[in-house]
Order: sequence, then structure tokens, then C-alpha cells
Amino acid sequence: MVSKSPLYNIHKDLGAKFTEFAGFEMPIQFSSIKDEHLTVRRSVGLFDVSHMSNVWITGKDAEKLISLTTVEDAKKIGDGKSQYTAILREDGTVIDDTIFMHVGEKYMIIPNAGMSTTVTKWLNDKAKEHNLDAKAEDVSRDFVILAIQGPKSRETLQKLTDTDLMTVKFFGCQYIDVADVHCIISHTGYTGELGFELQITPTKEAEKLFLKLLDAGKEFNIKPIGLGARDTLRLEKCFILAGNEFEGGRTPLEAIMSWTINWDHEFIGKDALLKQKERGDYERLTCLECIDKGIPRHGCEMEKDGEKVGVVASGTLSPCLNTGIAMGYLRPDYREKGNILEIMVRGKPVKAKVVKPPFVPKDWAQQH
Amino acid sequence: MAEEVREGLRYTETHEWLKIQGDTAIIGITDHAQAELTDIVFVELPEGGKEIKKGEELCVVESVKSVSEIYSPISGKVVDVNKKLDDSPEIINESPYDDGWLVELEIKDKSELDGLLDAESYRKM
Repeated sequence: MVSKSPLYNIHKDLGAKFTEFAGFEMPIQFSSIKDEHLTVRRSVGLFDVSHMSNVWITGKDAEKLISLTTVEDAKKIGDGKSQYTAILREDGTVIDDTIFMHVGEKYMIIPNAGMSTTVTKWLNDKAKEHNLDAKAEDVSRDFVILAIQGPKSRETLQKLTDTDLMTVKFFGCQYIDVADVHCIISHTGYTGELGFELQITPTKEAEKLFLKLLDAGKEFNIKPIGLGARDTLRLEKCFILAGNEFEGGRTPLEAIMSWTINWDHEFIGKDALLKQKERGDYERLTCLECIDKGIPRHGCEMEKDGEKVGVVASGTLSPCLNTGIAMGYLRPDYREKGNILEIMVRGKPVKAKVVKPPFVPKDWAQQH
Repeated sequence: MAEEVREGLRYTETHEWLKIQGDTAIIGITDHAQAELTDIVFVELPEGGKEIKKGEELCVVESVKSVSEIYSPISGKVVDVNKKLDDSPEIINESPYDDGWLVELEIKDKSELDGLLDAESYRKM
């Protein structure tokens, strides 16, 4: 079954081309991926990301349930703060990466598209197994998620709210009224630019808010942005796309997410991670920038001296750099900065070198 | 913006155009095709001299998120390719019928041209 965003008709009116992603028919682009991409880097863009999920976690042990099932110690994340984290299986592999927000007595987590049922069931099962008074409730259908991203996002959003947005700190979250719509705001995003995300319910409220945001951003030439540019924006910053980077089962150590792991608490998968850490020789997600012309894509093989050493998890042309970029898993001896590998594109080798993340630095727009 | 269909060219149902010049044909993609693809960022062209059969892959055109194989509408030998596309693939978007041509083929079998559309039939598609 394919679901549509509650904003489908608005997207259609705005000239969107659609694609199916994880069971959702969502806009892939409005004007063009390159144009939308550069709009977000230089000014401001508006995304409908309703394909992402919303799960409430309630009950007096909600904090304990999050600490048990994620690599974060939820005690450390106070009311009004959010955190990027991962939910692991016992073997240490990632079920899903997600943000959780601490709003008052409750927590909201944002699993990836198509993951709400799996994650909700996992959390409820673990609550039961560990006798925790906590409940996960999938409310994805009740919410629209909008993301406003880019250097002009704050100025645009500020026009529609009395809350001083400078008080909403990086990874802060709180209730807010935007154009008289009561919603949850967080200073988060998936583009590497200044940006905010809004959790809106009931969904019909989101229609007028979407159009009001486009109107408020007119002076900055705001544009609606599709999933195509969302993917190129995140890849230039080396952010993970769960369906690509966790394919086949990967641990947060392999996915270079060790910075998210709080080792001072007990969580599902911890023992497996400790063992892997001790072994040390595991493959790690690595960033490669093409030297030759050619665009690496998901599934392209990576070779060193004619031998297969890995597979591209995500690849694209970088609209900012105008070169091919890719992420894939490599053994430690192949991932030293500057090491040159060959990515096989339609049977032809495209030379690429290992670089440090991100591909595109924070001040790119000021310099170009 | 209305998509251009140029008079005097031959067309395929899969949105390629051919300009027949005696024994050779210049091949490109139509205005409609470039508009659908948007932002062409890479073109892989065949080697000069290569013999290509009708229906075989002629070249590959990539946008940021898509890879599209262009299949040859006729059989023939590659006599020229548009080398400008190596550095400036966006020419296809800007000028699909002129500067953004792809390949010139020496026509092997003129009877294959009979199956191609004229501008009027392509416009009606």
C-alpha cells in the first residue's frame, strides 16, 4: 500500500514530480534537484517530511525505556532537549536511527519512514520484558512534519511566531505557536544548515502553515524542496540514510556513530559493541570523493588494485562540488585519508580518494 | 513552458530525435526528454568507430538522481560524438536540438528509418 502525505494536493499544485519512498508517495522534486539543493545551501527551503514517523513514549518509566533501548542515557537529556541516537538489536546492529525529543512528561521519537510499526513493537516488547511502566504509541498518521532549512530559515520562521527563535537552541525542542498553529519545534535537520523541524497535529493545520511559510520566505526566494535534494544535501554532510547505510546490518561503531554512544549506561546491544570495539578491525563507513568523472551509485563495487574491497552504500553527484561523492564501508587499512580506490561504474573504474567528512564544509555558501 | 518539437527531424516514441544527413544521422534527446530528466550532470558516450545495433545502448545520460540509458533508434557505426558534453553535459538541457546533440551514426540500413515518427506524429503522442 502506498500512502500519500496530507499535503499531496498542495505539492501537486506546486508542480511536484513524485516518487515512492518506503511506502509513501512523496515529491522527489519541484523545480530541479540542483536548484533546490543550492536554494537550501544559500537561502531557505521548505520540506514536507511526513513520511517520517512519530511515536509517543509515555508512562513513569519512559526515560528508563529510552535509556534501555537506545545508545543514549535519557537521564542526560532534560525537558526541552532532543537527541540523535540509535536503537539496537542484542547483536549491536541498528534497527533504526532516530531523534527523540523530551517534551514535558513525554518523549516523542521520530523513526524513519516505514519503521514506525517495527520500532513501536520493539519498544513495547522491551518495556514488557523489563517490567517497565512505559508505553510506545504510533501516532505517525496524526502528524505532518515540516522542515525549514537554510541560512534564512530562522528569519522566515520568526515572522510567524512571537517566540524568540534565538532561545530555541541547537537540538532544543518545545511547544510553539507558528501562524496560530500549535506544534512542537526542534532546532534540528538533515541538511547541515541552520534549520528547524515542526511536528504538527492535526494534519489539516499543516496545509495552511505550509503555504504561510512559503509566503513568509518569499523575500528570500524560498522554495519547496523534494526528497531528491534532501538526499543530496544529507550526503554532502555525510549524514546516514538508514535504508542505505544500515543495509545488511551495521553497528553504530561501523557507521561512525560512536559519538552518539553513552557508554556509562546499560543498553541493549552494549555487550556486542564492547566486543567489537575490542576487536577493532571492523569495517567503517568511509567518505570518497571522485577524482575522475563519473557518478557512483548505491551498489557500485569499490576496488583496490583490481580486488573488491567494498560496496557503495550511498552515492551521487554533489551539486556543490560538481563531483561524484560516495559513502561505503571499508576495512581500516583502506580508509586512510588520501587513499585512492576505484569505484566501478558500469564496468569502468572511476578513481576516488578517501576524504574526511563532511564533503561540503559549513561555510561553503559564503565562499561560493 | 511549451516543449519544442522541431520540424524536419525524425523522432522515436522514447523521445530521441534524428537528423538525417545523407548517409549519417545525428541523434539527440528531445526537449521533452531533457525537461523530464532535469539537470543532466553526466553523459557517457560510445567510442568512435563502434558498431551499434538498433535497440542497443547508445549512451548513458545521468541526472543527479537518475541514470537513463539511451537506446539506439537505428543500426550504424559511430562516426562522431559530442565531446563538449564531457565537460558541459548541461548543454543538453539548454540546447537539446542543436549544441546538445549526442552521437552521429553512419546509417547501416536505411529501411530502419521508415519506422521513425515525423514531427507531427511525435507531437501528437
